[in-house]
Amino acid sequence: MKSRRISRIGIFLFVAIVAAMSGVSARPQTKTPGSAAAKPISATAGSTNAKALGSKNAPVTIEVFEDFECPACRNFFQTSLKQVVENYVNTGKVYLIHRDFPLEMHPYARQAARLANAAADLGQFETVERALFDTQDKWSTNGKIEDAIAPSVPAAQMKKIRDYQAAHIEEINASIERDRAMGVQRNVNQTPTIYVTSRGKTEALPGGGVDYKLLKQYLDFLLRQ
Amino acid sequence: MATSPAVSELSRRPGALPGALLILGRVALGLIFLYAAYAKLYFDGGWHLRDYHFLFAMAIDSYKMLPLPVVEWMAWILPWFELALGALLIAGVGLRWTGSITSALLLAFIGAMTRAKILGLEINCGCFGNNEKLGTATLIRDSSLLVLALAVTIGAFLIRKRRAATPS
Repeated sequence: MKSRRISRIGIFLFVAIVAAMSGVSARPQTKTPGSAAAKPISATAGSTNAKALGSKNAPVTIEVFEDFECPACRNFFQTSLKQVVENYVNTGKVYLIHRDFPLEMHPYARQAARLANAAADLGQFETVERALFDTQDKWSTNGKIEDAIAPSVPAAQMKKIRDYQAAHIEEINASIERDRAMGVQRNVNQTPTIYVTSRGKTEALPGGGVDYKLLKQYLDFLLRQ
Repeated sequence: MATSPAVSELSRRPGALPGALLILGRVALGLIFLYAAYAKLYFDGGWHLRDYHFLFAMAIDSYKMLPLPVVEWMAWILPWFELALGALLIAGVGLRWTGSITSALLLAFIGAMTRAKILGLEINCGCFGNNEKLGTATLIRDSSLLVLALAVTIGAFLIRKRRAATPS
C-alpha cells in the first residue's frame, strides 16, 4: 500500500517535470543576453577582416579566439584548422575568422599577435599564422620570433612586415585589444575558444580545441541544413 | 516544545522517517539527472534533438580518454540514459538497480574528471551543457551526488531487507 503511494508520488512528479520541460520548449526561442552564443556574426565580425580566410558569403562562419603561444591552439591549428582551411574554407563553405586573445601567462603572445596583425594587413596572415604555430616550440622559449619563422617568411617580406608594424603599432595594438575585449565580452576564458555561426545562429564549441573528425561531422550537418 | 502532527506521525511509525528521507533523496537525485539530460538537449535558446550529439561528443572527446567511435556512441546515448535514470529515480522503480547504476555512473564521471585534473586538461565539464569549466567545485559537487546516490542505493537495499524480514 505504502509503496504504491510512493510510486504514485514519483509518477506525479515525473509527469509534472515533463510538463514543465514541454512548457519550456513551447516558449519562443530566446537567447541569454551576454552569453557567448547570443551574438550573431554580423554583430561580432568587427573590422579585422584581414585576419579572416575564405568568402564572407560562406554559409558557415567559424571564429577562433587564439593565443599564438598556447600549445592547445597550436595543436588545434595543426590537427584540425589546417584541414578545415583546405576542405571548407578554400571551397567556399566556411569563412574563418581569427581573433586575438593573448593570455597574460604567455610572455611572447602579444609580440606574436602584433607580427601576425601586421602580416594580415599586408595580406600575409595565413603564411605567418602557419609559421608561428609551426615554430611555437622555438620562439616561445626565447621570444626570438622572427628568427624562428625566418625559414617560412622570406627576409624581404619580413622586413616589410617589421616596417609596417613599426609604422602602425598603435592601430595594431588597438586591433588586438578590440579582439580581446570582444572575447572578454563573450566570456572567453580559455584558448582556443571556437564559435560556429550558421543561419544566424552561433554555437560555442567546447573550449580547448576540437578533433577534426567531430568538427567535420558538425560542419557537414550544418551545411546540409 | 510543540511537535508538529507530521513529525509525531513519523516518529510513531518505525521506518517512516528513513522511508521519507529515501523519497527525498531519490527525487532530488532524479531531478538533477533530468536537468543534466535537459541541459544537453536544450541550450542556446532551443532544443537540439537532431544535433545535440555533435557538441556533446566534442565535450567528451576533450577528456582525451576514449576512442572516437566510443565518444560518438556515448554522445548519442548518455543524455537519454540520464533522462531514463532520472525518471526511474523519481518514480522509485527498481530503486536498488537504478541507485546502483546511478552510483556507478557518477563514479565513472568522477574518475574521468579526476584524471583530467591530474593531466592538467583545461576543459569544460560537459555535465550540464557546455559552459561549465571543469574545476575543483565540479568534483566536489559530483562527489556529493555520489554520496547521495550511495545513500539512496543502501537505503533501497535496507528497506527491501526489512520488508523481507517482516512477517506479513
